[in-house]
Amino acid sequence: MSEPTSSEYVAESPAREAWRMYRRNLPAVAGAVILLAIVAATLYGSFFYAGDPFDIVWAPHEMPGVEPGFPLGTDYLGRDILAGLLTGGAPTLTVGLAAAAITMVIGVALGALAGYYGGWVDTLLMRVTEFFQVLPALLFAMVLVTLFSPSIWTIAAAIGVVSWPQTARLTRAEFLKIKELEYVTAARAIGARNKRIIWKVILPNAAAPLIVSATLTIGVAILFEAGLSFLGLGDPNQMSWGLMIGANREYILDAWWPVTFPGLAIFLTVFAVSLIGDGLNDAFNPKLRER
Amino acid sequence: MSALLEIEDLRVTFRTRYGEVTALDSVSLQVNAGETLGIVGESGCGKSITALSVMGLIPSPPGKIAGGSIRLNGEELIGVSPARMRALRGSDVAMIFQEPMTSLNPVFTVGDQIAEAIMLHQKVSPDQAFRDAVALLDRVGIPSPDRRARDYPHQLSGGMRQRVMIAMAVSCRPKVLIADEPTTALDVTVQAQIFDLLNEIQRDFGAAIMLITHDMGAISEMADRVAVMYAGRVIETATADDVLDLPQHPYARGLIDCIPTLGRADHALKEIPGVVPPLHLLGKGCAFADRCAYKFDRCDAEKPLLTDHGRHPVACHGAEEGRI
Amino acid sequence: MTTLLDVRDLTVRFALPKASMFGPRPHLEAVRQVSFSLDAGRALGIVGESGSGKTTTAMAAIRLTPASGGQVLFEGEDLLALDEEGMRQRRRDVQLIFQDPYSSLNPRARVVDIVREPMDLLEIGTPEERLARVKELFSLVGLRPDQLNLFPHQFSGGQRQRISIARALTTNPRLLVCDEPVSALDVAIQAQILNLLARLKAELGLSYLFISHDLGVVRHVCEDVAVMYLGKIVEMGPRDALFDAPQHPYTQALLSAAPSLSRRKSKGYVRPLKVSGDPPSPINPPAGCAFAERCPKAQAICRQTPPVLAPLAGAGGASGPVQQVACHFPGPAAEAA
Repeated sequence: MSEPTSSEYVAESPAREAWRMYRRNLPAVAGAVILLAIVAATLYGSFFYAGDPFDIVWAPHEMPGVEPGFPLGTDYLGRDILAGLLTGGAPTLTVGLAAAAITMVIGVALGALAGYYGGWVDTLLMRVTEFFQVLPALLFAMVLVTLFSPSIWTIAAAIGVVSWPQTARLTRAEFLKIKELEYVTAARAIGARNKRIIWKVILPNAAAPLIVSATLTIGVAILFEAGLSFLGLGDPNQMSWGLMIGANREYILDAWWPVTFPGLAIFLTVFAVSLIGDGLNDAFNPKLRER
Repeated sequence: MSALLEIEDLRVTFRTRYGEVTALDSVSLQVNAGETLGIVGESGCGKSITALSVMGLIPSPPGKIAGGSIRLNGEELIGVSPARMRALRGSDVAMIFQEPMTSLNPVFTVGDQIAEAIMLHQKVSPDQAFRDAVALLDRVGIPSPDRRARDYPHQLSGGMRQRVMIAMAVSCRPKVLIADEPTTALDVTVQAQIFDLLNEIQRDFGAAIMLITHDMGAISEMADRVAVMYAGRVIETATADDVLDLPQHPYARGLIDCIPTLGRADHALKEIPGVVPPLHLLGKGCAFADRCAYKFDRCDAEKPLLTDHGRHPVACHGAEEGRI
Repeated sequence: MTTLLDVRDLTVRFALPKASMFGPRPHLEAVRQVSFSLDAGRALGIVGESGSGKTTTAMAAIRLTPASGGQVLFEGEDLLALDEEGMRQRRRDVQLIFQDPYSSLNPRARVVDIVREPMDLLEIGTPEERLARVKELFSLVGLRPDQLNLFPHQFSGGQRQRISIARALTTNPRLLVCDEPVSALDVAIQAQILNLLARLKAELGLSYLFISHDLGVVRHVCEDVAVMYLGKIVEMGPRDALFDAPQHPYTQALLSAAPSLSRRKSKGYVRPLKVSGDPPSPINPPAGCAFAERCPKAQAICRQTPPVLAPLAGAGGASGPVQQVACHFPGPAAEAA
């Protein structure tokens, strides 16, 4: 039986196809390049531009571009802003990634169980989710951070604990939708157990929106960390972009640069991550692929 | 009998990721007053695009009417101003869609929706329009129409909704009624009711009906004349009896023979092997050649044109040379 | 001839959301005490319109929808009484094909894995044997071995249905439930799949529980036919008896509503038997016969007493089930008076 010519169909995995789609998306590629540049700068920047960001090295509030040794100027204590940006990037990004990971693990697990089993499991888990959702997130995170000593890990944990409910709801919605599809019934008909259906059949098909949500969570977590640091709840011994803004905020009218540069760095990172998120969303959407 | 709707050499192209593909190519059709023209073919053959072209509803971009002419009552529709097209749509030519649920607005009552359609084209008071709407609902066989007119679409069954769509479509007594697979979403007993209703409406209003379907059985019960479409072209056209009893094109014959009938059936069904080729892979020959049992050299080299070789117009080299 | 499947008084109820907090939970009886049997090597068609409960009946019979009553004897063993693991092992004998070839295959799995999965799950054979079996199935259903590593979206609807059939046949099942297997396909492709199903049935000695709304398709595939209306079987019998001499007015209405090439507008065809209205709601089924409201023959008794499915007087003998009908006034269609 001759069906459409097979030359038209090239065996290609969904991941590879998604990558092909992603490469065609200019903003998404730009986002990836920006993020890679930021990561590279925070990882390797200190090799080329040495200096402890907490050291007082020059007169306070030096304008950027005036003194060749300190291209981005100094803050209110005379600390080097470029050194702060380079060393403060790693903790900021780590908090973002770790918080997003915690969010995804809790959110996907609870959402998947609630959506798949339904009934009282769903009712119970959704009540728990709603409880966390109605807590004022920032306030609750502040309480957690003050109870435990502020370090990037407690901050990441606090952000993760307050932001998983959204992911849980999204996962549950996807599971509710996909579990009704016939290929799930087909898996049951051939004797697949629930565990397999949840993790091997439904989850991969729910991956697209979850990946996007994960990238957006990274952005939200970085902003959250900046917010906590801004309120003085960051780890005082660990330079981060949020801490730089928090420390310099009182002098913003005297000197714009000590807050502007870390602010720009956060903006660029979140912007890049959300470009990547949008790109992934499009790349995993089979309907867009047809165009 | 005069041709009420005349489509001549219509060509519609769509921009896709494979470049520009021709969705309709040299399509010529005529619908006469008071008759039903059935357009039949598999999905992707261009039957719905033909209907949308007449309605001036081809999504543009990516679609484009690249040539030909569509004349309604002698008036050319291609290139007509959007305002004029809107005036014609509903009053002179109306369409019934496949999915009656998504074609009705869920937040208005069906009576209001029909009344609005009436007021778009006729200068009547809202009260009069609503009374007309109730009368129309009664006409299309909806029980207790004055009560049903105040229902929302979700309160009606699928068959009732399709009746509402028909009432709306005939509200301004259009000269041409296009029905695009009007019963695909319905059960068979309801489908029979809708078919009977369309036939009654035609008798009463004298409208010409263009019935688009994939079902040769529906053609048999409903159509006076038939156009069989394949890959964007009309490949055979004649009276329903001629096409059903003496199909000339191997594809038309295949479509008839592959239907499991209600009569005795202990034999294997005749198959049409393969599938419809994607439009962007059409070569210079006959689009059906790869699936055709009668294929010969000329079929791959040259596109057959719709011409009369003795019986009725057919686009097939085999029929032309008497090989079939 | 041995009985493969014997369904007795199968009932399926779905709970509906409560209207108020303290009121009783309303139920919808989708399948009401349905009984039928299927002999090995035969095909039983279940015909009905949407909401008739035909799919639910089949799904409950193979325990993919929970039944709330009745028995399903498969080779004498009650499937409804098996524990989870026992049913899991039984799954190799009962398989199904779905209506929608687009949603019945996992879009993220390669088709070779889709067809092999049942053997992986039930731990049948070595990995090499499993692959060999997949290749064998591919050729059996008319797919090419070079298509093994593709993904479902790279196939046409008809080919996907072939993949679905190959997956169902992997474990050498005895019974295949076909849920509207061709209704989503173009007519030309329908014939390909119907011929494939007919060939497989003959070659492998399969039995089909074949669900369809299309009478022509059922007549082509099935030896026996059951007609369902609002959760009940209203008429059942051997194909030719049922199609040539339908006794229930609903069966007659279905037959007269199905479009046919022999009914021509040009010959002034007018439908002899018209049925008005839509099927009633299964939430509040009528007290008497469910079809009474739409039935041209209905009398007072029809609205009060539900008719029971009973063998037709004078039917029987020969092979297969006898013609049964649930109607107070069975008989040939009333002539258009």
